[in-house]
This record gives sequence, structure tokens and C-alpha cells, in this order.
Amino acid sequence: MRLRMMLAGACVTVSLAAQVTDRQLHEANSANWLTYNGSYDSRRHSALNQVSVSTVDTLVAKWVFHVPNATALQTVPIVLDGVMYVTQPNEIYAIDARTGRQIWDYHRVPARQKGPNRGVAIWRDKVYFTTPDAFLVALNAASGNVVWETKLAEASDGYWSPAAPMIVNGKVIAGSAPGDHGLNGFLDAYDATTGERLWRFNPIPKPGEPGSETWAGESWKAGGGNTWLTGSYDPELNLLYWGIGNPAPDFNGDVRKGDNLYTESVVALDPDTGRLKWYFQFTPHDVMDWDAVEVPVLVDAMYEGKPRKLMAHADRNGFYYLLDRVTGKFLHGTPFVKQLNWASGLTAAGRPILVPGVEPSLLGTKVCPAAIGAANWMSPAYSPETGLFYVVAQEGCGIANKSTETFRPGGFQYRATGDVEVRDDSWKVYVRALDLTTGKLKWEQERVGSTGFGGGLLSTAGGLLFSGELNGEFVALEAKTGKALWHFYTGQRITASPITYSVNGKQFVTIAAGSDIMSFGLLK
Amino acid sequence: MKLSLIVALVGAGWLAAQSPKPSNPLGDAPAVAEAGRLLYNRSCTSCHGPDGGEGARGPALDFAGRRYFRVSEAAIFDVVKNGIAGTAMPASGLPDTDVWGIVAFVRNIRATASDLVVPGDERNGMAVFTGVGGCSKCHMIRGQGGVLGPDLSSIGAQASLNRLRDSLTKQRAIPNGYRPVTVTTLKGEVFRGVARNSDAFSLQLLDESGKLRLFEMSELRSAVFAKESLMPYGFDKTLNKTQFQDLLAMLSRQTRTKVKPTLQGENEVGR
Repeated sequence: MRLRMMLAGACVTVSLAAQVTDRQLHEANSANWLTYNGSYDSRRHSALNQVSVSTVDTLVAKWVFHVPNATALQTVPIVLDGVMYVTQPNEIYAIDARTGRQIWDYHRVPARQKGPNRGVAIWRDKVYFTTPDAFLVALNAASGNVVWETKLAEASDGYWSPAAPMIVNGKVIAGSAPGDHGLNGFLDAYDATTGERLWRFNPIPKPGEPGSETWAGESWKAGGGNTWLTGSYDPELNLLYWGIGNPAPDFNGDVRKGDNLYTESVVALDPDTGRLKWYFQFTPHDVMDWDAVEVPVLVDAMYEGKPRKLMAHADRNGFYYLLDRVTGKFLHGTPFVKQLNWASGLTAAGRPILVPGVEPSLLGTKVCPAAIGAANWMSPAYSPETGLFYVVAQEGCGIANKSTETFRPGGFQYRATGDVEVRDDSWKVYVRALDLTTGKLKWEQERVGSTGFGGGLLSTAGGLLFSGELNGEFVALEAKTGKALWHFYTGQRITASPITYSVNGKQFVTIAAGSDIMSFGLLK
Repeated sequence: MKLSLIVALVGAGWLAAQSPKPSNPLGDAPAVAEAGRLLYNRSCTSCHGPDGGEGARGPALDFAGRRYFRVSEAAIFDVVKNGIAGTAMPASGLPDTDVWGIVAFVRNIRATASDLVVPGDERNGMAVFTGVGGCSKCHMIRGQGGVLGPDLSSIGAQASLNRLRDSLTKQRAIPNGYRPVTVTTLKGEVFRGVARNSDAFSLQLLDESGKLRLFEMSELRSAVFAKESLMPYGFDKTLNKTQFQDLLAMLSRQTRTKVKPTLQGENEVGR
């Protein structure tokens, strides 16, 4: 009774609990994992080195957290001061990152069934995530109480949102899905304290706006261009970089003649206003659903004898690109897959040189890469120690067809057909290490037995590259050589990207495998 | 033309007459449901349990985990009046007025607080919540308030009115994840709060300042769990009658998320 009185008196209305500051987000303290790709530059490289080339043989499972009713989790855990946040669509779980024990859970009701969900963002005392019914929800990070929620778009129109939001300058940056329903996408900024919308960037320009001339007739009205993966941010340049998805209909471009800006582009935006600073389009007038949402990785390095602010990007279309991220200027591009037949190369400006006839047709045409792409949403990584860019690369082709289809509002497919993947011996998945500036292959490790991409990559100062395979193997590769040094069979398909963090001086490596979150640490 | 219109109108009237939509002539005021409870406990408890609970020969009528087939006023009236053929549920033989009273009671115990018309001033209730009642020190509604107790933004859609009233007036069991605990670390630091989770090996504490503190048991000298909830009770005595009723009314209208669907099946005859 006395305890109760004391505690009741001590309850406070404003939590002063563990909070993420802007500074922490900028510096990306290695003990925590605070953003979708670990840091604003999206390198997915951690300074933690307790688990290293010389100790990884004693890496053992520390705990497993089962996410009820999950199947193929894509969540990237966020960790702050020993508390981990993981998601599946409509749900967030706060977990003790040392023990795997649940602290709180949030379930959105009623739950619209759409997936996946790729994780939360964290800032000050709140966590943020987006939902299958196209809301942005802010919750108290200590208790899971909903503080506010804001509607991004009309779910009844077919919109939803799977990507982990990003916090920049006190704003929550959140995007849209789906890519294949002819719904025009957006990228929004909301006040992280109040939930008020501050700006919206429309990847499909309206008539009269710059870029609208790249859409024939009224085709812009159902143009697509969604933002279903998290981007990157450069605090020094104060530029936000975000990949834009495919134009619609995906496989038949006849009704949308033109380059179809800003689909299949990376856009650089002023995060304070949402204004477009520059763009670079990887696949003008795409007809293969090659969303350009793959994570842009920001690296400062020497290029042609000068220090440059670079952006590295391995695109779904099969080319690896190096851009100047100050201006958007194309510097270099080269294929990172062998099976690429739709373009014979890139011009000096980075525009693909098309091979006539290699595009979807009524009877079917072999196009390589397949529509699923040479790369996709599974995160790449970059190690400043090896100077290598690591990417999950898929070799394979599809027989691509096109048809005519009419846009129907309400969230229906508007693809005008697709491709049938050629699953012969040539269909293979690799982890590839590319020289950052030349894109030349340094080593590759085949994901033997995987029929699809699987999960993404994590680089660490321990000289390791962690890789989650679709066949269930969680593997540590030597970052320099690609040699497999450690593996753990999780028993479930891995479709998420790994992270690392440390609590009380002990390093953990964590990945979502199937329906479970699995965390590993050294035996002693 | 005119004739066909008349025929159509007459036809519509005839159809309407064929599907009467009975509703409770006694209304749904709390007093009606309370009178119905007494009737129910007098007439139905040889099989069902008292106050709608599970009985020796009949099921509970308000079990949250069950989806009831007969939910509308008309359907419940039909069952009480006529019984269910082929089962042990007999026709009650009660006059219609008494049957309607029982219908009001059954509907009442199944309803969440937000389904009912709870008299009281919502704004004054919120003033009590944040002021004299002290509730917002630990509870949050729509982003405003403390975090040590459960969020109440949807409590009207989650709890029955009786449960709400009981929570304010009676000592109740500690909900999962809210057991008060005092821990002392090996270094001698003392932290108080609620254990959001714990087992033999670790404890996840939300401390009194709203900060999460996560311990392995091996790091603790002691963890002393309290036997009583932090939730004060007896608000029917510490608040005046108006304040209490306004607080109850305000809480009953908190429905940010509809956890349970509202009463459904109006105007259906469920047989």
C-alpha cells in the first residue's frame, strides 16, 4: 500500500526516458541501430568488432523471439539502449535486446491484411511506423501508447505503406505503396511531434510541372512511381535521397510514351521543403517493373584523383551506378550481373543504350534481368575498410509479355502482364563484392540452394559481412575475400536484413528469419 | 401509370407489414437493464449462472471469447419467449414486459461501455481525469498523460460499463504487465515501477519516471513484487457524484480503436 502511494505520486505525464537525439541519428553510435540502414548514409557498416574474423567461430544463438502469426518477416530491428523494436504489418514488439523478452506490443485494430512491414523509425521518446491501412502511427517508445496517428492516403483507393520511415530534422519521412496498381505515389514529411503534414513530393508531375512532358496524354494520371523503401540522407548537404518505383502499367509502355519522370529515378530533395534539387533516372520509360527504390549508399571517396561525395546504387535493371551526390551527375556505370540483354551499355550521361526488341511483347520476349531484377529491396552494404560495395545479385531472365489493360480505381493490379522466370541452371543468387569506384567484381559467393534473393547484408569492423539466405542459412563471410567463416541454419526462409548492436559491452548480431527474431553473440 | 404506382406503394406497405422490426418497448436505460437483471436472476439461474455467468446447465451469456448467434433485441426476445427447439432452452412463459426486461439486461452485459448511453458530461469528465482524479498521472488518452498504467484511448470500446465502474470503485487484480516492483541492484541502486515482463532470469521494468530499465536477475540483489495494483479505487467515495458520473461517461466514450464490434444484428430474427 505504501509502495502504491509512493509510485502513484511519482507517475509523470512527460516521459524523460531514453531518447534519440538528432545528434545520435547523425553520428550513428555503434552500440545502437537507430535507422533502417544503420546510419543516414545507408552503408550498413558497424564499428563494432567484438565479433570478428578471429572470434566468429564462437558466435552462438543467444535468444529467439517468436512473432506470432508471422511468416516471412522483413523487419529490420531498431535498437536503442538495450531496447529493440521489431514489426510485422499492423504490429510492433518492444523487446529486451539482451534476453529477447517482450516489453510491450502494439496491434492495430482492425487490421487490414497487407504486407510486409520493414520496421520503425525512432526519435526522442517516440517510435513511428506506417500501416497496411496507410496511416503513420507515433507511439511512446517506453510504453507503446499511441500518441498520434495521421492518415497518409486513402486505403480504400488501394494505398498502403510498408517502408520504415526516416527521421530528418524533426520530420518523419514516409512513403507509399503499391507499385503495380497505377496509383500515383508520394513522399511525405510530417512533424514528428504533432503528426501534421509539412510537405508532399509527387514523383509524377502534374501537367505544366517540369517533367510532365515525359508523359503522353493523360497517362500521368495512373503513372505509379511509389516510394516503398527507405532512402538515405546527407546532413552536410542537407539532401534527402529517395528511390522511386516503376511507372504504370508496368509492362506495356505504349500508353505512356516518354521517359515517365520521375519513375525509376533517385530524387534528391530538400528535406525542409520537399523541393526537388536534382534527379537521375536509371531506366527511362521502363517496361520491366524495375523499381529504382534500391537503397542509395552514400560514400565519400577519391574518384579520378579528387575527393568526391558519391552515391553508389545497384539497380534492379542490372547496372551498378556511381553518381556525384551533390549534383546528381552520372560518373560511372557497369553491369553487376552477367545476364543483361536489354541494354548494350550506358551513354556518357548514364542513359541505357537499348537493344532493339528486347522488351515485353505479345508472344513473349526473353529479357534479362527478369522483372524481379538483378537487385531488389534487400539492403546492400559498404565497408570503408575494404572499399567494397556488397550487393545481393540475382542472375536470371524472364519471358516478358505485354497486354492491354485499363486502369481501375480501388487498388487493382494495373500491370498489363509480366514475365515468366526462366528457372533453369542459369538462375542463381550471389553476394557480390564490387570495387566502389569501378564496379569491378572482387569476389562473389553463391547462395547455393536459394531460389530467390533472400535477405540483405551487414558489414562490420570485425572484418565480417553477414548475409541471410533464402534457404535459411545465416552466414558470416570474410569481407575481404567472401570466404564463409560461420553459418547457422535458422530453419526458416530469411527475407530480412541483419543488424548489430551492443549492450553492456557485448555485441549482438540479429536477423529476422521467417517468423522469428534471432540474436547471436559470442559464447563468452 | 397512376394505378401501377398505387399498387407499388400498397405492395411496399404490405412487405413492410410482413417484416416487423420489433425493438425493446422499454428502451435501454440503465434502470431497465437493472430491473431485467433482477428478473433474469429470478427466472433463468436454475440453468445459467447469476448475472449472466456460466451455470450448471446453461452457458454464460457474456463470455468475451464467444461469438453469439443471437444478438439483436428481436432474436434474444424470441429465444427467451419461445425457447430453442431441440435444446434444453425452454420457453420462459414470462409476460412480454418481463421478457423485454431480460432482453435489456442481456444486451447490457454484452455491450462495451461505448455501446451504451452513459449519462454525464464528457468535458467535465476529462477535467476530473487530468485534475482532481489524478488519473492522467499514470494513464494516457490520445497521447496525453502518463505511461505507467494502461492506455485508455479505447477503453470505452474494450470494457463493459460494469468493468469500468468496478475499476474505479473496487480493488481489482493486477493486469498483466503492470505488477508493481521494487528492485535493488548489486550496486545498491533502487528502482521502482511496474514489471512489464519478468521471469526467473530477467526483468523488464518501466520505472516511475517512465524509463525502461532492463535487468538480468543476476544483476539484482532483490526484486520485491507488490501484491496490489497501483490503481487506486474508491473513486465513488473520493469524488462527488457528478464528478464520478462525468468521469465514467468520458471513459465510456473513448473509442479510438474499436476493439470489439458494436452490437450487431439489429432487426434480425436469429433462429
